[in-house]
Amino acid sequence: MQTKWRYTIPWHIVFLLFITTLLFPILFAIGSSFRPLEEAYNDVLNFIPWNPTLENYRIFFGSMDVIQITFNTFLIASCVTLFKVCTSFLAAYAFVFLKFKGKDVLYFLFIATIFIPFSVTMIPNYLVISDIGLSDHLVGVMLPQLADAIGIFLLHQSMRTIPMSLIEVARLDNLSHRRIMKDIVLPLVKPAVTSTSIWFFILSWNEYVWPVLMLKSVEQYTLPLALQMYMSSEGGTHFTVAMAVAVVTMIIPLLLYLTFQKYIIGTFTSSGIK
Amino acid sequence: MNKEIRFDEVSKSYGETEVVKSLNFTIREGERLILLGPSGCGKSTTLRMIAGLEPLTTGDLYMGGERVNDVPSGQRDIAMVFQNYALYPHMTVWQNITYGLRVQRVPKDEVKKRANEAVRMLKLEGYEDRLPKDLSGGQRQRVALARAIVRQSQYFLLDEPLSNLDAKLRATARKELVNIHEAYRQTFVYVTHDQVEAMTVGERIALMYEGELQMLDTPERVYHQPRNIFTATFIGSPPMNVIDVSIIDDVIQVEKQRIPLPLAWRRHLAGISQKRLTFGVRPEHLSIDKEQKEHALCGTVKYVENHGDTYAVYIDIAGVEWIALHEYRNWTQGETVYLTTESKRMHFFDRETTLSLGYPIHFLEEEQ
Amino acid sequence: MHVSKWEGRRSYEQWKAYGLLFPSLIIFALFMIWPFFYTIYLSFFDWNMVAPTKTFVGFQNYVDVLTDPITYKVLRNTLFYIVLLLAMNLVVPYIFAFVLDLVLHRWKGFYKGAIFLPSVISLVVGSILFMWLLNPVSGPVAIVLGAFGITMPVWSKLDGWVIVGLSLITSWKVFGYNFIVLYAAVNGISREVIEAAKLDGVPLWRIFVQIVLPLSGATGIYVLIITIVQGLQYVFTPIKVLTQGGPYYGSANLIYQAYHEAFVLYRTGHSAALSILTMFIFFILLWLEFKFVERGIHYAN
Repeated sequence: MQTKWRYTIPWHIVFLLFITTLLFPILFAIGSSFRPLEEAYNDVLNFIPWNPTLENYRIFFGSMDVIQITFNTFLIASCVTLFKVCTSFLAAYAFVFLKFKGKDVLYFLFIATIFIPFSVTMIPNYLVISDIGLSDHLVGVMLPQLADAIGIFLLHQSMRTIPMSLIEVARLDNLSHRRIMKDIVLPLVKPAVTSTSIWFFILSWNEYVWPVLMLKSVEQYTLPLALQMYMSSEGGTHFTVAMAVAVVTMIIPLLLYLTFQKYIIGTFTSSGIK
Repeated sequence: MNKEIRFDEVSKSYGETEVVKSLNFTIREGERLILLGPSGCGKSTTLRMIAGLEPLTTGDLYMGGERVNDVPSGQRDIAMVFQNYALYPHMTVWQNITYGLRVQRVPKDEVKKRANEAVRMLKLEGYEDRLPKDLSGGQRQRVALARAIVRQSQYFLLDEPLSNLDAKLRATARKELVNIHEAYRQTFVYVTHDQVEAMTVGERIALMYEGELQMLDTPERVYHQPRNIFTATFIGSPPMNVIDVSIIDDVIQVEKQRIPLPLAWRRHLAGISQKRLTFGVRPEHLSIDKEQKEHALCGTVKYVENHGDTYAVYIDIAGVEWIALHEYRNWTQGETVYLTTESKRMHFFDRETTLSLGYPIHFLEEEQ
Repeated sequence: MHVSKWEGRRSYEQWKAYGLLFPSLIIFALFMIWPFFYTIYLSFFDWNMVAPTKTFVGFQNYVDVLTDPITYKVLRNTLFYIVLLLAMNLVVPYIFAFVLDLVLHRWKGFYKGAIFLPSVISLVVGSILFMWLLNPVSGPVAIVLGAFGITMPVWSKLDGWVIVGLSLITSWKVFGYNFIVLYAAVNGISREVIEAAKLDGVPLWRIFVQIVLPLSGATGIYVLIITIVQGLQYVFTPIKVLTQGGPYYGSANLIYQAYHEAFVLYRTGHSAALSILTMFIFFILLWLEFKFVERGIHYAN
């Protein structure tokens, strides 16, 4: 045991220091967001709010319709998640359990789209969504986010672990695909569906590119866009308010992650590649 | 209605490889037929074609007199037990057993009645609310059986259902399977690679090799009158000794040794022009002696293997290895021994076609 | 005819499959495939996104882009980003994954959970946090460094440094995901192989280089490529939020430059040509991925 600890302690120290560094920005933001601006400015390093105040949040909530913006973000993330999970589930089911012409090629093409950078699709998407009058509209932000093959990939990986004989038993019982999905496949891949949903929600909540391209008016803004307004290249003067906005922006993803941590880590661990 | 299954020139290919080659045979209504063969012989594919899980490449499959090539699995009235049992892991034993019936809208009390009967028959009482992961291998296997029998299908297919059980459980499970079949008398098709299972469970055995049907007959015939060399050597353990011999003037020549051809065989083989044959005799039908005997083959003991109830004695005769079973271990390496057998324990095969040359007519009559 | 009936049933199954794929196919066709081809189309036209007419210019946009010295500056930046992102998000997490799996025995769950945590936070949040943390005058890092007598460079205004800063912000987010994927790969290596090496007294660094790297290589390649492809897109956010590509294109990468050409300079053709060139580079990576990862899979089997 003695020798074991001699080897591991330095590495534990490395890991703990590393994690402290990773988490410091988050703690710094939370702490600073509850400090009075003057105090925080004069003593940046001491980020623990000894004189806690909600002033920063009050300023943020007073300067724009935060409820509306949070609702926008929530609405976009929910719709995108729901749609993506459903379409990915159906597609993954077809790829895993059905035989059809062009299956391998089609799957390859879907996965290949992961390699298409958004810069390739941004102009046409922007033009189309403007043409149908959906720029500066929440739906216009949702649409381009729906074309994402990651969900098909993750659910495909998870469904592949279901033994084919389970599906064959169901087929011998004359079950429809709808029933097989609902009664057999869905319950068995529930952890993957849950974590994929959470992941989609977080992705969409944090989405920056499409909102920044599409949205013009503040009423339509999402949280990351609102946060961006509190920033200028010099750092601006609203340091503590910006921290409050940052906290509001990251609180939902953080809570979701802390609640579903095991599922999410598990899905990424087991999916890996192929 | 007649619930037989008939294969008419059925073959199955995956791309270039033909895994089942022009099958022609009939599984009779209500019989217990075993599809036996080494792995990769096409037996599972054959079973899956009956289940409708694999489409046929060519040929026609008839079930109950009806051509079913186009009938989906769910409409073939089939119950199937899979090698890995294919129990739904998220459903309890009871849910697993009743799920198929509930989906097919069988009345509730009927579902209950059938499931209770199956649970009782397979001694699953008290386990109804357990999940598969909380069951032993034997219990899982019985749940899979229960789920299959509650369907009360006309056809009962089993794909290596016992291969995941340990030897002791397998013996009881075999009896159970036969009991179930005796009770319901479905047309019963059972895939296995284990000849003991085939012998104990089967009313008839269909032996397959490299996608072709080698022999289809009762276990007794498959053992006593194998149709070809493959069947002869596949069935029985240790395998039948098969040795190339020539027959000249009613004398069997094994290298330099000669033994006269028994009278019954002389007449039987008289019409056969081919004199270079393959001679077969099972290890359990060879007698070994230390003293020289009349019409015996002489060889040297190479080594002795303990099989528990018997000893397998490996004997070298002119560079060819023979195996004989004997009750005692009193054989030493290098010792000279003499081998004899009864005339009705002999087998002769055509060396070219590997087919059996048949048996003298009165041997066959004795067997009946 | 008997044959057609079976064919009929089979194609019925096929239509079911296409039916299930239909929603995804529509979405991908509209927002991925069609835009992809339309961008190729646009790369042959001179257009400003608002004018009613587009002028066909052949390969002129490509010629313009390839003769523009800014393109080469952007390419150099992109390369620098790739090097930094790989160092921070492939090499370091690989070593960490190895250590966590094979050296440490306690608190694994906590370490994994904590390291992954920043991956769920918006890069806009990351940008604003690091802008303050790394403020060269009044930020906590500057103050700590100042205590040691080190003056922090005004990183956001300096070529090179600006890329380091932006890569750091992006890595903060990307690290956790890569770490988890690599950990899974290292963890998936048969314990017997590693135990055998340990019994033979093989030093840890050799186990890492000679056993773990080859046996988890397929995942390593995957992470390498995904770090480049996703990393360059992730960097877009801090660039856009913090530097807008400055100082004088000093922090722009290929993706940001394509955005800049299209939505700031309104040179649609240039943007499209640049995107297609980026795409071309990514597809070479995709090809490599399939070549190596597929081989890795066969190897593992």
